Amino acid sequence: MKTRGGKGKWFTLRTILRVMAFHRGLYAASAVGWMIFHLWPLLPGVLGKALFDTLEGGTEAELNLTTIVAILVAAGLARMASIFGATVAVAGWHVRTRGLVQRNLLARLFERPGARAMPGNVGAGISTLRDDSEAISLMGDWGFDALSAVIFASTGLAILISVDARVTLLVMVPMICVIALAQLAKARAHTLRERSRAATAQVTGTIGEIVVAVRAIQAAGTQDNVVAHLARQGDERRHAMVRDKTQSYALDAVFNSTASLGAGLILLTAAGAMRSGDFTIGDFVLFATYLMQVASYTGFIGYLVRTFQQVRVSLDRSVELMQGAPPMDVVKHHPLYLKSDAPVDVPPRRADEPLDVLNATGLTYRFPGSERGIDDVSLRVERGSVTVVAGPMGAGKTTTLRALLGLLDRQGGEIDWNGRAVADPGDFLVPPRVAYTAQTPTLVSGTLRENILLGLPDDGGVVTDAVRRAVLGPDVASMPDGLDTEIGVRGVRLSGGQIQRTAAARMFARDPELLVMDDLSSALDVETERELWRMVFSAGVTVLAVSHRRAVLERADQIVLLDSGSVVARGTLLELLDTSPQMRRLYGPEAARPH
Amino acid sequence: MPRTSDSNWVFLRKYLRPQRTSVILMVALLLGSIVVEVAEPRIVSYFIESVQLGASEETLLRIALVFLGAALARQVMHVLASFASERVAWTATNALRADLTAHVLNLDLTFHESRSPGELIERIDGDVNEIAQFFSTLIVRLLGNMLLLVFILVSLFVIDWRIGAACTGVVVVGMLLLQRVSRMAGPRWQADREQSALFFGYVSEALRATEDIRSSSAVSYAMARFHRQLRTWLPVKVRAEAWGSLIWIVVSMVFVALAAVSFGLGGGLFQAGAVPLSDVYLVVTYSVMLATPMEVIREQLQHLQRATAAMWRVSELLAVSSKLRNGTKPLPSGPLSVEFRDVTFSYERDPGSKVLRDLTLSIEPGATLGLVGRTGAGKTTMAHLLFRMYDPRHGQVRLGGVDVKDADLKSLRSRIGFVTQDVHIFDATVRDNLTFFDTGVDDARLLDILHTLGLRPWLTALPDGMDTRISGSSVSAGQAQLIALARVFIKDPGLVILDEPSSRLDPGTGHLLERALDRLLENRTCVVIAHRLDTIRRADTVAVIDGGRVTEHGATRDLLGEPASRLAELCRAGEVLE
Repeated sequence: MKTRGGKGKWFTLRTILRVMAFHRGLYAASAVGWMIFHLWPLLPGVLGKALFDTLEGGTEAELNLTTIVAILVAAGLARMASIFGATVAVAGWHVRTRGLVQRNLLARLFERPGARAMPGNVGAGISTLRDDSEAISLMGDWGFDALSAVIFASTGLAILISVDARVTLLVMVPMICVIALAQLAKARAHTLRERSRAATAQVTGTIGEIVVAVRAIQAAGTQDNVVAHLARQGDERRHAMVRDKTQSYALDAVFNSTASLGAGLILLTAAGAMRSGDFTIGDFVLFATYLMQVASYTGFIGYLVRTFQQVRVSLDRSVELMQGAPPMDVVKHHPLYLKSDAPVDVPPRRADEPLDVLNATGLTYRFPGSERGIDDVSLRVERGSVTVVAGPMGAGKTTTLRALLGLLDRQGGEIDWNGRAVADPGDFLVPPRVAYTAQTPTLVSGTLRENILLGLPDDGGVVTDAVRRAVLGPDVASMPDGLDTEIGVRGVRLSGGQIQRTAAARMFARDPELLVMDDLSSALDVETERELWRMVFSAGVTVLAVSHRRAVLERADQIVLLDSGSVVARGTLLELLDTSPQMRRLYGPEAARPH
Repeated sequence: MPRTSDSNWVFLRKYLRPQRTSVILMVALLLGSIVVEVAEPRIVSYFIESVQLGASEETLLRIALVFLGAALARQVMHVLASFASERVAWTATNALRADLTAHVLNLDLTFHESRSPGELIERIDGDVNEIAQFFSTLIVRLLGNMLLLVFILVSLFVIDWRIGAACTGVVVVGMLLLQRVSRMAGPRWQADREQSALFFGYVSEALRATEDIRSSSAVSYAMARFHRQLRTWLPVKVRAEAWGSLIWIVVSMVFVALAAVSFGLGGGLFQAGAVPLSDVYLVVTYSVMLATPMEVIREQLQHLQRATAAMWRVSELLAVSSKLRNGTKPLPSGPLSVEFRDVTFSYERDPGSKVLRDLTLSIEPGATLGLVGRTGAGKTTMAHLLFRMYDPRHGQVRLGGVDVKDADLKSLRSRIGFVTQDVHIFDATVRDNLTFFDTGVDDARLLDILHTLGLRPWLTALPDGMDTRISGSSVSAGQAQLIALARVFIKDPGLVILDEPSSRLDPGTGHLLERALDRLLENRTCVVIAHRLDTIRRADTVAVIDGGRVTEHGATRDLLGEPASRLAELCRAGEVLE
């Protein structure tokens, strides 16, 4: 995996050190516990040798049988205690460090323009927050794991050499060969694993789509074709899976056979020495026991190398998600509020400066890697006026609103509020100055009330009033728990129209100087929509909206007509129908006439 | 649970029978590898014995080579057995998955309304994968390790009954403890998984809602909720891990106890002259070998439990049958007449409230009927009845003179085109999206329809034309709606049902669509659910639906011209807004 901007191994090590410094006490406790755990396997071999030496009555027999068993039991108890302590300590530590990385990523994404908070698709961002944060947190273990591995290997080798240097070398050489072989095989294993994973993802994806599209599939009457399609993908997966699994079994076999292979080699090389008594049965037991560790030890080293490589990828992905923030911010220490609630900033009730005029000139935004977007769009919204942005599909209406509100990172254009320049509209054109309802709003799980308030204090009937103005009253009345009804993940228990009006209520609850609405009507029936617009206009508040509705166009003080990302005309409906052929084509009387 | 083991048996028989030879081969290989595994320490012990008896170096080398050969053979047999079991498992579960999908796809809407897509994914994907695990690991891992455990214990008994008895005692106590601890740990892990699901559920929602959260100044609120979720999760996670570590602790305990027994008892018996030193070696090696199969068996028993539950759920799902009985009559060709005769309908989930009440309505072949009315008036239900996604409680729905209950479902659905408002775009090529993976439709026909619908420029702009992969997020809502229309006209239907076809199109594209519909609906009957005046105007007759009844039905021109009509009243509201 290539790394960007000169970050690499050293950056990875620095981040690991930084993560390790988070909640040091817990980390130290985990480290001590796990090191006892990792080093323990050195003991049974030594005790086994002691046992056979004692039984054979050799010169080295200084322990009696009872002592050996007593040491074994005492060490066993120590191991159990260390397992428990270390597990508890490291579990708490993982939740915290992982939470820290997630907190940092989340906080950064919330700083980015809201409509394009992530560089890639949302799914990839979510998976970074979910999986890469875990990989980074698990890397903390790497510190004590790697240290234990070094101590384990050097102590083990020292013991073996002190017993028999020749056998140690003759056994170690084939072992190194095996490790090298396994390492080579690993590179290939990677591609096979990817293939089977991709095949699995394909099957899972198809099942997901089939289940969502049952109605459409039945409507098309193509059940058999769809099942055949799934079966084809299943076959592909079977091939990939069987190859992948067989290969990993074969690799496991290589590792598993190191113990027997090594034991056989010792028997071969030490046969003479054993006959003469230079190499005792106790020595063989020691070597054989340690050989059993070699398999798991090489596996462990492989794991350490792999996790180090994986964390580099995870860190790269996280840094990419940080979009320009200093890379070390991924692991910057912050409080996690594990004892009390985190503070919530409540926006002031009233804007410090009421809106007189909001002016935007030359707004320009291009979608990355495409020619689409808006170019040099200007808008002027005066207090108490209604401004409607209109135009055909793909003209840039939504983009214009988003660029104005800082929900997209505009590439050009000036914005000013009452003549004062607004540098970052994403932080400035928000409640209580401006509130916005997106075309397809996204809610979060929780109650209807929580979704309308989003942290606002519910005093003076804010919610009830907002619900009334958003024409959500009858819906709320029919819900089992009224405003305290749980709306489900992303509001699945609400209809499209209810989601849109909940977002509208959220906007009204903020009582802003300027209402910005993106096609409020797309999910509402005629009468509900008419009522909603009546509520919007009745307050005499300043409005900026995208709409195709004739009544709204008629009510507009100015219509800004967009086409292909540029303003082609502006004026009232009557003016535009008179002067603009595009407007006539879209909204003129001939457009509504039956053919 | 006789019921669950029954379903295990049924599954094993049905899906393994076609692969009998592979299964037998797999079991043979497995047995072989276990026998060799138990024999290996015997060879070493024979070696030690020979050393002590002063055998020649040549003999010793020969024994060592036999040992190496056995060790290699065991690994080869094990890999082959695993390969065979994977093949068997994936073949069997692919067949099961296809059967299950076909079954689910042929169930009626009443069923689909009572199950969420997530639940069905869990059945078809999650549960079937669980069963795959069962097929691939049950025999190799569970059976193999049980056999290994028994073989080792028997060998220990053969060496000395006291050692055999002591080790068996430790194994039995250890297994019981393991069972108990893992049963206690289960609910803690469950709680942890639930918290994890809640936590990541929130995180992914928050990430999808950045536009809403930023623009509502609710960032600190969203962060505070994140911290709260983390705070609730922490103790649950630590508790689960602590209980999980107990399993490990028991395994360590068993290991230490077995080592202590073999060291103490083996050493003691040797010193008393009851066993030779080579047997002490065997005892120590075998007792160390016991810990691994115990742990694997515990793990696999858990898998088995989960797999059994999964099999039970899957067989339950397979046992659900569609409420719709298939008929035999084919529908006539050409435009179809439509007739609702005293139709009453209520949903299964709410039998009390009637969605349609004694509704009667008919359409001439080739005519277009507009259905107008408020949300929830029953318009969509009428469309579903025509398409026979449900059956009416009373009354008849007739198409081309045939009661839909008597019609052959395949013929019915191939003669009706139904365009819903929520369009599903598959993550697949344009061609597959248009044909639903039917490989028998030729491109010329697809191109012709795309052309009529004004989608040719869009197609031309795609990098690989018809072979370009598209997904729900790469086409606009308007394009998706046009694609849905294209799908329907590929079938050449005699009746087309449209649910507000232009709802997501801007007026300009809407007009384009209207012109396309003029051509596509030629010589076809059409029922259109209309919210917009333009759409209403293109209908020959209009029925106003209210409270599950037809409150007004007549020629569109007449009704629009009569100021007192309900349609005119709706249009006054509509006209202001359109």
